[in-house]
Amino acid sequence: MWQSIWSQLVDMTLVVVLLRYMTPILLAALGGLISDIGGVLNIGLEGLMLISAFTSIAVGSASGHWLVGVAAGMTAAVLTCLGMGFFSIKLGVDIIIAGFAVNIFGSGITIFLMSKIFHVTGNYTPDQRTPIPTVNLPFLQDIPVLGKLLSGHSLMIWIALLAVLFCVALIYRTPYGVHLRAVGEAPSAAKSLGIPVNRIRYSALAWSGAFAGLAGAYLSMGMTSMFVKDMTAGTGFLALAVVLLGKRNPVGILIGSLIFGLASAITTIVQTTEGTAIPSQFVQMIPYLVTIGSLVVFEARKRKGAAVPATHTI
Amino acid sequence: MKSVKDIYLELSGIAIAVLLALACGFAVILATSSEPLTALSSLIIDPVTNPFNIGTVINKAVPLMLTGLALAVVFQAGVFSMGAEGQLYMGGFAGAIAGIYFDALPFWLHFVVIIGCAMAAGALYAAIAGLLKTYANANEIVTTLMLNFVAILTTSYFVNNVFKDPTSGGAARMAYLSPEVLLSKLIPGFSAHGGIVIALAAVVIVYLLLYKSPVGYELRLVGKNGKFATYGGISKNRVLLTSIMISGALAGLAGIVEILGIHGTFKENFSAGLGFDGIIIALLARNHPIGIVVASFFYAYIQVGAQTMQAGSDMPREVAVIIQVMLVLLVSAQGIFNFMKHNMRKKGGVV
Repeated sequence: MWQSIWSQLVDMTLVVVLLRYMTPILLAALGGLISDIGGVLNIGLEGLMLISAFTSIAVGSASGHWLVGVAAGMTAAVLTCLGMGFFSIKLGVDIIIAGFAVNIFGSGITIFLMSKIFHVTGNYTPDQRTPIPTVNLPFLQDIPVLGKLLSGHSLMIWIALLAVLFCVALIYRTPYGVHLRAVGEAPSAAKSLGIPVNRIRYSALAWSGAFAGLAGAYLSMGMTSMFVKDMTAGTGFLALAVVLLGKRNPVGILIGSLIFGLASAITTIVQTTEGTAIPSQFVQMIPYLVTIGSLVVFEARKRKGAAVPATHTI
Repeated sequence: MKSVKDIYLELSGIAIAVLLALACGFAVILATSSEPLTALSSLIIDPVTNPFNIGTVINKAVPLMLTGLALAVVFQAGVFSMGAEGQLYMGGFAGAIAGIYFDALPFWLHFVVIIGCAMAAGALYAAIAGLLKTYANANEIVTTLMLNFVAILTTSYFVNNVFKDPTSGGAARMAYLSPEVLLSKLIPGFSAHGGIVIALAAVVIVYLLLYKSPVGYELRLVGKNGKFATYGGISKNRVLLTSIMISGALAGLAGIVEILGIHGTFKENFSAGLGFDGIIIALLARNHPIGIVVASFFYAYIQVGAQTMQAGSDMPREVAVIIQVMLVLLVSAQGIFNFMKHNMRKKGGVV
């Protein structure tokens, strides 16, 4: 087993698999990050990803273009988030409960629509495949190791990495970002300065929907070309853990997503290796145990006196 | 102390929320079904037309009541644990092992040992998240969600390998427990099993614990106002651990009752989200034990209705999810309740 991991590390397969697994976690976690900074932590990432995964593949194959599918998936997720905002901001539902409801809703509504529209249960594979394109870099792809490392990835992997820079710019370099942080840290102070608190909260939720939408579209049109019921299988919860571990910083989110992507990649490699001594159930546990472990380490470091902004308490 | 009028307002608000949620479900059925009337009648009427379906409603309400109680206890203490699902698996697993290996005991003692093992396993598993919170300040929402996956995968490994019944073939399950310890039917010919007695007893015990004991008083005080409770000399960490372990014991009880009443032994993935349904039950009931009984029966009724609807019409049972989601959102919508209170006060002339 160790030999197999080592050989896949040398020939870069591990890195390629890692990037594939990291992408949905990273995108969803960036969405969760913006909602957290705005003081409306969205725990409905799992449900939003499912909604987008289904919508994007259904619309994508019907329209024949992946871009239309991705746009539709993002729209559906953003609309769900605005609905969530209506209940939580307008009607006073606790944001955690609203997110919990979105998770149930996402799982149920996709199964319902799959059965009503396509008359299938379990999974839906469209006749017309419209995958998100892969980016092949000319010249670079012919270089042995570097080619495999940089070329031939899904476009969404690059979008996810660029999204980190985008979030850094959005949160720390724009007036909107200042407002967002102000609303998250001291809503009443922000209000007294004339910042439209509720509108900022709605927008923070909408951002989380947009990013979770990208993550969902990647699941059904990038990683696979089908929709399977409950296909997120905990990815949204891993993303949520990354949000809480990432020190409210896009770069922290990137590091957290890399760790979880690595855990998932090792899981896959170990599972697909012949004659593995470790039962698959224990390998599948790795990401969850890593989450708990890193949460403990992070909190321990925080208590050592590092100046960390006040975190969201529930 | 809440006045009678406040309780009346709260109850009517919840009733309105329930009606609105049902209306949303009906609207979806009317809009998407080609035979809406058949679908509606099989959703609403079929669950109560024959004794078999009524028995199924009661059986479905049993684990919901227990997981609902489990979550009500932690929620009242202000702990947002989502770990009932994992604790339920651990409890069911430990109980089933006790059921198989302590077969030599007299059956009543055997039964007590099984229940005891299940509750202890649930409580100990819950204590992990509790200790992580008290010692490492690890957010309990995340740790409990992650521990759910860990529990499901761990039990899945053992039931596929170490404790797998050799005669079970492709199914991942343990050997069936001896029929003596299983929960028998209450009335011969009627499908409801004895779990309802255990669940109702648990409701009474949790009610007494929460509202008539010092432990419950401390627990609710910490939930309502942690700072005040600390100031009054109550250890927040001890209350957190107590509440999460009581909750785990109840979730473990839910698991073993489901096994003794329905499945006959531990099977892989036997729960399918009972722990998460418990969250909805606790929310609907405003964490009150009496409310949990009502909410569990109502929720079970909708679930059985969704099944009879799927069997009797062109609608998939996931329609029930829409009703569930609207229930969660509307019942927790403080805005609606404040609006109602405001209007009532205006009418009464008291501001």
